[in-house]
Formats: sequence, C-alpha cells, structure tokens
Amino acid sequence: MDKSSISSGKRPRNPLLKRVWKDLRRDWKRYLMVWLILVLTIGFVSGMYVANNSMIHTLDENSELMNRESGHFLLSGKADSKVLDAIASGEMADVPAVFRERAYEKAEEEVRKAVDEAVAENVTEQVRSAITSQVEAAADQQIAAGMTVTDEERQSMIDTALETAMAENFDKAVTDALDEAKRSEEYSDAFADAMDKAKKEIDKEIDEKYSELADRYDLNEKSDPVPVDISELFYKDTDEAISGNDGYTGTVRVYSQRKNVDLFDIMEGRVPENDSEILIDRMHADNAGIGIGDTILAGNTEFEVVGYASFVDYTTLYESNTDTMFDALTFDVAMVTEEGFSRIRSNTRANYTFTYKEKPADEYAEKEMSERFLRSLITQVAVAEDEDLEIKDFVPAYMNNAMTFAENDLGNDKVMGGVLLYILTAVLAFIFAVTISTTLEQESSVIGTLRASGYSKGELLRYYMSAPLIVVVLAAIIGNILGYTVFKNVVIGMYYNSYSLPKYSTMWTPEAFIRTTLVPMILMIIINFAVIVHTLRLSPLRFLRHDLKRTKRKKAVRLPRWNFFSRFRIRVFLQNIPNYLMLFVGITFVMLLLSMAVGMPETLTYYQGSMADMMFAKDQVILSASEDDDGNTIVPENADAERFSVYTLERKSDSYSEEVMVYGISPDSKYIRLSNGFVSEAKAGENAPVVISQAYSEKYGVHEGDVITLSEKYEHKDYTWKVSEVNDYSAAIAVFMTGEQFNAVFGKDEDDFSGYMADSKITGIDEEYIAKEITADDMMKVAKQLDHSMGAYMTYFQYVCVIVAAIILYLLTKIIIEKNERAISMAKILGYDTGEIASLYLAPTALVVFISEFLAMYLGFMLMSVFWKVMMMKMGGWFAFQMSVSGFVKEFVMVFAAYLIITILDFNRIKNIPKALALKNME
Amino acid sequence: MSNEEKKFLEVKGLKKSFGSGDTRQDVLKGLDFTVAKGEFCVLLGPSGSGKSTLLNILGGIDSADEGEIRISGDKLADMDEKSLTRYRRKHLGYVFQMYNLIPNLNVKENIETGAYLSDNPLDIDELLKILGLFEHRYKLPNQLSGGQQQRVSIGRAIVKNPDILLCDEPTGALDYKTSKEILQLIEEVNQKYGNTIIMVTHNEAIKLMADHVIKFRDGMIRHDIINTEKVTAAELEW
Repeated sequence: MDKSSISSGKRPRNPLLKRVWKDLRRDWKRYLMVWLILVLTIGFVSGMYVANNSMIHTLDENSELMNRESGHFLLSGKADSKVLDAIASGEMADVPAVFRERAYEKAEEEVRKAVDEAVAENVTEQVRSAITSQVEAAADQQIAAGMTVTDEERQSMIDTALETAMAENFDKAVTDALDEAKRSEEYSDAFADAMDKAKKEIDKEIDEKYSELADRYDLNEKSDPVPVDISELFYKDTDEAISGNDGYTGTVRVYSQRKNVDLFDIMEGRVPENDSEILIDRMHADNAGIGIGDTILAGNTEFEVVGYASFVDYTTLYESNTDTMFDALTFDVAMVTEEGFSRIRSNTRANYTFTYKEKPADEYAEKEMSERFLRSLITQVAVAEDEDLEIKDFVPAYMNNAMTFAENDLGNDKVMGGVLLYILTAVLAFIFAVTISTTLEQESSVIGTLRASGYSKGELLRYYMSAPLIVVVLAAIIGNILGYTVFKNVVIGMYYNSYSLPKYSTMWTPEAFIRTTLVPMILMIIINFAVIVHTLRLSPLRFLRHDLKRTKRKKAVRLPRWNFFSRFRIRVFLQNIPNYLMLFVGITFVMLLLSMAVGMPETLTYYQGSMADMMFAKDQVILSASEDDDGNTIVPENADAERFSVYTLERKSDSYSEEVMVYGISPDSKYIRLSNGFVSEAKAGENAPVVISQAYSEKYGVHEGDVITLSEKYEHKDYTWKVSEVNDYSAAIAVFMTGEQFNAVFGKDEDDFSGYMADSKITGIDEEYIAKEITADDMMKVAKQLDHSMGAYMTYFQYVCVIVAAIILYLLTKIIIEKNERAISMAKILGYDTGEIASLYLAPTALVVFISEFLAMYLGFMLMSVFWKVMMMKMGGWFAFQMSVSGFVKEFVMVFAAYLIITILDFNRIKNIPKALALKNME
Repeated sequence: MSNEEKKFLEVKGLKKSFGSGDTRQDVLKGLDFTVAKGEFCVLLGPSGSGKSTLLNILGGIDSADEGEIRISGDKLADMDEKSLTRYRRKHLGYVFQMYNLIPNLNVKENIETGAYLSDNPLDIDELLKILGLFEHRYKLPNQLSGGQQQRVSIGRAIVKNPDILLCDEPTGALDYKTSKEILQLIEEVNQKYGNTIIMVTHNEAIKLMADHVIKFRDGMIRHDIINTEKVTAAELEW
C-alpha cells in the first residue's frame, strides 16, 4: 500500500492536560471544598509563620536597638560607686582575704585594748603596792625614832601619807611604769601571742563560713572576669488604681525615665514630659481599660496617662520571675519623669541592670557567663564596705520570663501550627487519594485502553496527579497571599492580646512559603503518588476487565437472613470500608480539634470555679517572723487556724524548672490529712518519706514508692525523698511532711513555723508581720491568663471545626454516592423511590458517622490530654485536661449537625441522579 | 511482497492457560500462523475459543505461557514492560467492543489522545472527514450514537498510523447497519493507510471481507485460509 498519499498532521499537545482543566471544572465542588480548607489552613499557618517570624525578628532586633539588659540584680539598698565599679569589673573579690584583713584590724584593736588593760591593771597594782610599801616604811621609821602612837593613829598617819603620795606620784609613776612595760619585750611577746591566738580563731571562722559560701556558689572555681556595664534601673512597686473605676485594684511597677538601657517602643501617645504624666504598658492598658488621658493612681499619687509602651524587658508581664504565670490583667509597668518618680511614696528598689561588654556567642555561653558574673557579684557585694548590702534578686536575661516567655511561645506556636497544617494536609491528601482511587475504578476501561494504546504509566500518573497538585499549588499561592496580608494581622492580633509586644515590620520570610507550600505539596505528592502508582501497577488487561482488586474475594460474604434492606445496607458498608476508614480518620481529626476547642474553655472554667474548693485551706498567711518585736509568738484570732511551714524548692529539668512548695504541717492537721502510717514513718526525721500532691503525681507521673529529687534554687543542694502517699490536693505542685520533719530537713529550730492556714479569713495578725497571703485568686493566675489569652478564640475555633467536619464529610459521602451512581440509577429504574434509595445508601454512612463519633470523641480526648500535658510541662502548676459530659455532647452534636447538613446535600444528589445513567453506560 | 513482508507477524507454538490444578483451563493450545504486512486478518470463533486472549497477547497486554511471537522479526517475549509499552505506542492501534472514550473530552480531543502517541500522526481533520465525524468534532461522547462512538475509537486507534490495528469485536455492540458502516470504515482504513488489521469476531459473515481467515475452536486453529475471493464490506449480509 502506498502511504505517500497520506497527509500527516502535527503531533498535538498532550490532550490529557486539557482534560485536567476539564476534570477540575466538572468536579469543581469537590475541588473547591478541598481548596477552601487548604487556603484557610495554609493562610492561617502562613500568617502564623509570617507573624511569628516578623515578631521574633523584631524582638531580636530590639534587644540590640533598645539596649536590652543581659540581666539585672536587686540590692537591699543603693550601692556606692566603689562597689558598682568593682561589680562592673566582673572580677571576683578575694572574700577571705578582705574578711581576714578586716577581722585582723578589728582584732588588733581589741587585742591591744585587752593587753593594755591587763598591763595597766598590773602596773597600777604594782605602783600602788610600791607606794603603799614606801609610805608604810616611812611611818614605821618615824615611830622607831621615838614617836609614840597608837595603832589607830599609825593607820591614820599612813592613810594620810598614802593619799598625799598617791595624789603627788601615782599617775606619773603609773604612766612611767606603763611606758616602760610597753617598751619591754614581755609586752611585745604578750601582744604577739594574743594576736596569734585571735588570728587563728578568725582564720578558722572565716574558712568555715567562706567554704560554705564557696561551695554554694562555686566560688573556688577560678574563671575569667566578666566585665559588664552597670546601670541603675530603680523602680517603685505600688498599688495601682484607676480614677473612676473603683472595682479595679492592681500593682504598678514605676520606673524613672529610662535613658540608656531597657528602652521601649511607644505604641501610642508620647513619653511623660512633666512630673504628673505617666507612660504605661499597652497590654495592661488594654486589659484594664485605661485610656490615654485617663488618670491613674500609683499609691496615692495621681498621674495622667500620656502614652502606651512596650518595654523591651517586659514583653510578658511577669511581676516576679518566680510567678507561675504572667499577669497582664492586674500588673502594670510604667515610666515617669525623675520628678514624677520622686513624687511616689514607696520604697525605691535598688535594681541594677548589667550588660556584658563582650556579647555571648550563644545560649550556652550566656548561661556560663551569667554564672561567672553571679560569682563575681556575690563576692563583690560580700566585700562591700556597707556590710548591710545584700543581693535580693538576680535574674539573667535568658532566665527572665518577662523577656523570654513571649518569644518562646511564638516559637512553640509555629511548631504547633506546622503540625496542624501537616495533619490536615495529610487528611486531605488521603481524601484526594480515595477520590482518585474511585476515579481510577470508574475510568478503569479508559485507562486500560490508553495503556493498551501505548500510554505509559508515567504519563497517566502525571495526569492523575495534576488536579490535586494544581489545587494544592493554587491553595498555597492564595493561602500565602492571605497569610501575608489578612491572617498575619489576625495572628498578630492574638499575640497582642496576650503579650506586650512592640511594633513590628513584616519580614518576607521564605520559611513560611517553604513550610506552607513545599511541605503540603510534597505530602500531597507522596500520598497520591503511592495510591496511584499502586493501582497503575496493574496490567492494562485488568483495567480493561475492571479487575482492580488485588485480593480477589473468593466468595461473597454470607449475610444472616435479615430483611433485604438490612442486607443491602451491609453490602453498601462492605463495599465502602476504605471510605469509611477514611471517614473515621477525618472525624477523629476533627474531634481532636474540637476537644481542644470545647475542652480548653471547660478546663479553665472548671479550675477557676473550683480552685477555692481545691485549696486545702482557703486562706494562707506566711509570716515575716514567727515572733513579734516583744518576743511573743504571733497567733491569729481564728480558732480554726493551724500552723504550717513552707519552703520553696525547685524540680529541675532542662525544659522547665518548676517551683515546688514544700509544706511542714501538723501530724493531725485537719486541712491536709496525713495517714497514721505516714506520721509514724515521719519520725525518722529528715530522711523520712514524704507525701506529694495529686497535681505533682499527675503532672510528673510520680506514684507511691517512687523517689523524687528537689533542689535549692540558688544552691547546689538536692533533697531526695521517697514518696509515701499521694494526697488528693490538686491545686498546686506540693510536697507535704510533718512540721518536725520539715524543721529537721531545713535546719530550723524545733518550734519554728512559717505561717497559718485556715478556711476562714485569718485575722488578728499585724500587717507588718505578714509577708504574703495566698488566696484562691493567686492560685488561679494561670487559668485566668490562659482564659484571657485563648478562651475567646476557642468559640470561633469550634465553628471552624464544624466547617472542617462538614467539608470532610461532604468529600467522603460524595465518593460513596458517586461510586454507586449507576446502581442508584438502576434502582430508580426498578421502581425504588428516592427515600428508599437514600435509606439504603445513607443509613450505613449515618451509622458509621455515629459510631465513629463515639470512638473519635474518646480518641480525641485522649490525644488532647497528651497534648495538654506537653503544654503544661512548660508552665508552672498543673491542671488536668477536663471535659464534662455536656462537653462531649456538644462535640457530638456539632459534628452530627454538620453531617445532617451534608445528608441533605447527599439526598439531593441521589435525587438528581438520572435514570438514563444506567442505560447509557450499558450501551 | 518480500518474504519478510509475508511473515510480518509470525506466531509459533503459542500456548496459554488460566488457573492451576483442577481449575486449569488451556485457552490456547499451541498456535502457529503468520500474517502478512497490510493484510486484513480475521480471527473467527465462538465465545471462549481463545481468540480475544490471542489478540491480547499479540497486543502485548497479556503474555503467553509458551511459544513465540515475532513482529517484523522482533520477538515479543524479549521485551520488558517498558519496551512493550513503546511497542504498543509505536506500532499498535486498539479498537474494543466497548468504545472506552474519555467522557469529558470531545471527539477531536479523544482522537488527539491517539495522535499524541505518534511523532508523525495523521492529519486529524482529514481523518475526521474520513470517519464522517467532522461535523461532530466538538461533541462529547455522550452526545454521540454507538456507531459514532466506535468511529471515534477507530479514529483514536488509527490516527497514529499504527502498523497493526487490533480490533476486538468492534461491531459486537452495534446493530446491523451501524456494524456494516464500521466494517466499511475499517476496510477503507486498511486500503488507504495499509495497516495490518487483525480483527476478532464471532460473526461468520465478516470473514468474507478478509484477506486471511483463521478459524478457532477450543484454543486451536481449525482452519487457516487465505481468502482469494474477498468481497467488500458493503456486500456483506447476515
């Protein structure tokens, strides 16, 4: 045959590519749903990355620009320039040498005084005796010369002569004798001997005391000096009140004008210009409802608020670094002019900041430098001439929650957001994969024909992967755009609602794009690739024969003799098991999110509501001294008050070191019940076992018989105890022991105690003796702050979960119906009405959703409890994740409501399947 | 015609069975035949005689247990999966009883799926005219009749101008009139483009239009006839 007459055409572009767009158009609802979820998730996570990266970058930059301190220390009073210069040198003082020198000086005076006194006494006696002897001899000479006197006259004569002699010669004789004695070798020897003895005692005492101090702070460790710049950053802590808002009471920490160190970002308004103006923290102003122009009272001094600021050393409002949680609700940081500062009547706290002259290379170097600096600080303060000068607090920047908490939280949120995105992407990728798998089944003969015609597996693979990839790429692009514009502001708004963050500039970070685009794409590619390749491995012939099952069912599953409809439904179930598994995974994912959205507010509300009941005593007063100025033991008026002792130790850990309250209580305490067995064991003294609180046990998984180790905060001293019992106290991380054991452990006097506890308000104790009062409010700080920061978002999050549930259900039920379109069409031809068909095809799904919800609720709760624990491990205190029955019901109803909406759509879908479909395909 | 062209397709001792043990069924029991280049060969036989299995083995989508197939001297059994795909892509066209068109591609695009596989495809518009589908080129498959859909599937198979066109009961789902139209089309294609056509059918009447008829029964060739008195498709009656 002559082929020359045949005209050739151009090889067309791959028509399957055209089909990709047609597929997208044909199935736009499904793709739109997936696209929407992806856009929202990618958008939100991208926004989170952009917001976090931008803010973290700004915080890092600000620490330089605003000359953030490397740390600060609080002294008992203002230090003189000599001490400050010595501290700034970063060199350790030779404490024993200085102490010795001072003690020697003092001792020399005392020894000389003692020796002189002894010599003087000796010399005086000798002179007195010599003069007396001379006078007596002269009198006796006169009597011997013929003078007749009685004994009485003789004595009188001697006394008179002695008085005269003493008056004329004694002082001179004593002075001469003393001078002579002091010039004598004996005097020098005596003085040297006494000094030697004194020095030996001094050396012994100093060595003992110093070696204890040296052990505690590693002072014997020789290290290079850490030179620093020191600045005064004095403040006054005082009550804060808002003029016109009687219900509010808080605490404000007022600083004088900051000039060189720990500067601030003005968020609104301006800096104070006269002594009656004040600049306050923006976050606190928001929370307390303080506006610019409002008047606030710092103590009794009125100030007009002229601006809001974010202080570089208070991005999180921690009043004290040992607080379990920050408190932006009732704690404020403010700045006034120097004149304004002096107007406030409150003690000035001698707070000094230090900045390393040589910046540490990394966190490890910073830690090591701070330890070295602390050593030098301790020694320099110890050798200060003002012997009353003490270090009250020392907080290096890396340990300062007020500076680091927000930044760490931003970092953690990024990780959480990333995990959420990847889980959701994986769920969606699986939905895609199930969809594709169904499509491959439906298009089996077309695939067989294409493969038989010479299409390679690669070509088909690329084709079937195109749609999901296009969807994910478009979602990533739009999601990223939204992330950089809309969601960034949403996320930053959330952070501004918790932390005192400065103004920031958006940083165009590639990390957001990579993590929210590349990673979801790779996940989508891997999962879809696996499913498609797995199917495409089958031979073209099997596609042509619609024989895609790898394991061939030998026989149909035999069903019990139920009625036809029941058996039909079971067949539908058996046919769709993979889809139902996917449905289960999707519902579990949603339930996990819902557990958080429903459970977190519930948990916080529960703890806020029941904290008072959970405390072992509703009021606890810690005394500054157990005796009053007159030496009488302080006793409250309350009959129900009970003595207790308390000491704070630390449970050290790399991630978070937790403060643990160690209580010493009465063995027959009515507030904390100790078993008789424990009380008798406790008699063993300091090594006896202890009781721990329920909260301790739950948070750290410690049980009876385990051993716990707690440490002193600023000393290298550990305490190890065996746990005898777990007390049901769940409001705090605490250790209990008897008062006797407590005093033995901490080296206190036998009858020592720290304060009183009672269920009634403790009264009758003069305020000057109260160091601290602990009420339910103090214990609820964590719950309150978490509720404030996150509580409001949880309601929105619940709606998001319902939408996600609806979309997942929509996608999966759509697949089930599509798979059976032809059978449904045929059923219609046979005369079944839509209601009957719906009951056949929708009832199994409803049942699966129902059962899945129950299982997923439990699984979601369990998973959330684990996540919750991980979160709580980074915070002080403990409260277990709570979910009430009503919470579970709420979760169930929300997801089932989503399902019911989707069922209506499914019903309509079934209704709209044409009868002709079955006939047409049978052609 | 050279000897090489006479033995364009050569089948020797071809055997195929399904199942094992008691359920083992020998479908092809040792086939030997040759097909010349450009020949219109009909594989005729009742259902279950093994003719479709043979076609699938010739198309490289199924494999034989024993024996060999050579096409233009190339042994099919020596080809790995990739080479088989390439072989199908370059040399084979497939037409099935069911048309297996892509539902959301129009007529022209469905034919393009075949054209894409060839470096030197036929002119699609010209082909559409020959197929009588030019007017319908923008229609979707579900807007076409069965005969028209089968024309599209033939178009898809021949647009890449394959050396061999394998047709598996192409008229099996069609009525008499449409079947004849399709057979005329295949005849026209054979004459115009000179492809070797191997058609599986159980319709005895079709053998009359073939150059070469191989009759099957129980997996064996009963008759291997060169038809010297072939008629046109239009003249067929059944």
